[in-house]
Amino acid sequence: MTLVIGALTIGLILSVLALGVYISFRIFEFPDITAEGSITLGAAVAAVLLVSGTNPFVATAAAFCAGMAAGSVTGVLHTKFKINGLLSGILVMTALYSVNLHVMGKSNVPLLTATTFGNYAEGAARALGITGSVRLLGWEVSERDVSVLAAVFAAIVIMAAALDWFFRTHLGTAMRATGDNPQMIRALGVDVGAMMIFGLAVSNGLIAVSGALLAQYQGFADVQMGIGMLVWGLASVIIGEALVGVRSLGLSIVGTIMGSVLFRLLVAMALRWGLDPNDLKLITAAFVFGALVLPALLGKLRSRKPSVMHA
Amino acid sequence: MLDVRRISKTFNPGTINEVRSLREVALSIEDGSFVTVIGTNGSGKSTLLNAVAGTFFVDSGTIRLGDRDVTRWPEHRRASLIGRVFQNPFSGTAPSMSIAENLALAARRGRSRGFGPALGAGWMHELHDRVRVLNMGLEHRLANAIGTLSGGERQALTLLMATWLRPEVLLLDEHTAALDPKSGDKVIRVSEEIIARDKLTALMVTHSMSQAATLGDRLIMMHRGRIIYDVRGAEKRRLRPADLLARFEELRRGEQLDETAADMLKRAYI
Repeated sequence: MTLVIGALTIGLILSVLALGVYISFRIFEFPDITAEGSITLGAAVAAVLLVSGTNPFVATAAAFCAGMAAGSVTGVLHTKFKINGLLSGILVMTALYSVNLHVMGKSNVPLLTATTFGNYAEGAARALGITGSVRLLGWEVSERDVSVLAAVFAAIVIMAAALDWFFRTHLGTAMRATGDNPQMIRALGVDVGAMMIFGLAVSNGLIAVSGALLAQYQGFADVQMGIGMLVWGLASVIIGEALVGVRSLGLSIVGTIMGSVLFRLLVAMALRWGLDPNDLKLITAAFVFGALVLPALLGKLRSRKPSVMHA
Repeated sequence: MLDVRRISKTFNPGTINEVRSLREVALSIEDGSFVTVIGTNGSGKSTLLNAVAGTFFVDSGTIRLGDRDVTRWPEHRRASLIGRVFQNPFSGTAPSMSIAENLALAARRGRSRGFGPALGAGWMHELHDRVRVLNMGLEHRLANAIGTLSGGERQALTLLMATWLRPEVLLLDEHTAALDPKSGDKVIRVSEEIIARDKLTALMVTHSMSQAATLGDRLIMMHRGRIIYDVRGAEKRRLRPADLLARFEELRRGEQLDETAADMLKRAYI
């Protein structure tokens, strides 16, 4: 049960990453690999602040701002300097590796003694009179695990609601239209480049928050923790679309979160059944490859069938 | 009013693909005037519209809209003064967003876009009333994605979007060329109605002789980056499609003469 709760918690934390990837990849159709640097940046900024005794909420907000700055740099490289989108992301990701090392001062910052959001969650649980261990569906689980899961869940609900609200404002609607039809939105007076910079800033801000939460949950920030995170986010977005379709904005947001949680659960199960952890990223990449290629392949097969019958 | 003063534009200058699309074009359009633009392929008629819209900057000359010099304004800034409908019905609307959302975007053309809700309660009422004017039943489908609409419906909506806030000038770039004749007629009728109702200043590129002859109060014909014919008032009202065809025929003959003359000179001197 601890395993399941752990998987749920990490899945929810990484769903913030998935929401960020949703913005860059689905709204702007921009595979933004800055994600791999900005998730570590968020973790690094939050970890360093937490070690120095900063309030976890302030530290997480600082991570958001740092991520926004990283995303803006990618956006400026792409829109103002006309650098290919993927390359802009690669440049910023590479630069962030050094930045992250400088922020942390070493390659790993442990948070064992620092006060994190987990301590607040536990405190809240105690205030509600929950102590010791809790029986959940007949399983014995520690109160800390449950309260952290509940806190993360609440945080995700708030972030998802905020994102949904934002995308229905004048500004958010214009941002969605920028990805949908840049020519049209330019003719309606929107600076497409500025909107893209802003969108990538929000995207990487969310990804950095995901990193900040992850560092607090696992108890350390590590300079390597971003590797493979973009593909992870893509997998979550794709699973989410398979689960709920792409019919509406609210559904897409909920679907992305569900996709991230489901993916994490599947991975936890596979690892439990003896999957070599070293193969995890290979399998994730293969999964995303399949999800990207299969729909077109199936469509081709379906359209080919009748002609085969005629021949 | 729109005032274009001696603008020129050359694409790919100094290369084998050099095209002098606009050559010192001058054009002044008074407020409330509806001008149709015709011309052969590559004559510069769409380029003229794009120069006004700011798709690119002109090499020389100035463009004034109202009392503002917009020559160096980027496209998105000029959008506050300009309504546009493109030739391609896919260009003017965001396909994955709803009709209501698209119109909400248009209702803030050139204005600040803040954190207010795009689809407020009062707004849906106004929306319903103004979409009904199109007479296409779209007011009952406001929540549908634009992607589910036909080309004609999209162009009618784009027209409504372009004129939602009164533009200083409305630019129509062969906006019925990609439609079937029936939808094309419908969109032309709606265009005429809206332009007349709001007394808009409009510039419409078309390749239909009959549209060019019957619509608007002024006609200009372009050829090789220049305005070669400009009629208005009574003369424009008397104009028939056959007159325009005759003009084009004249142009064609003139060009043939040029070529044969060039050939003759080549044979004689080289």
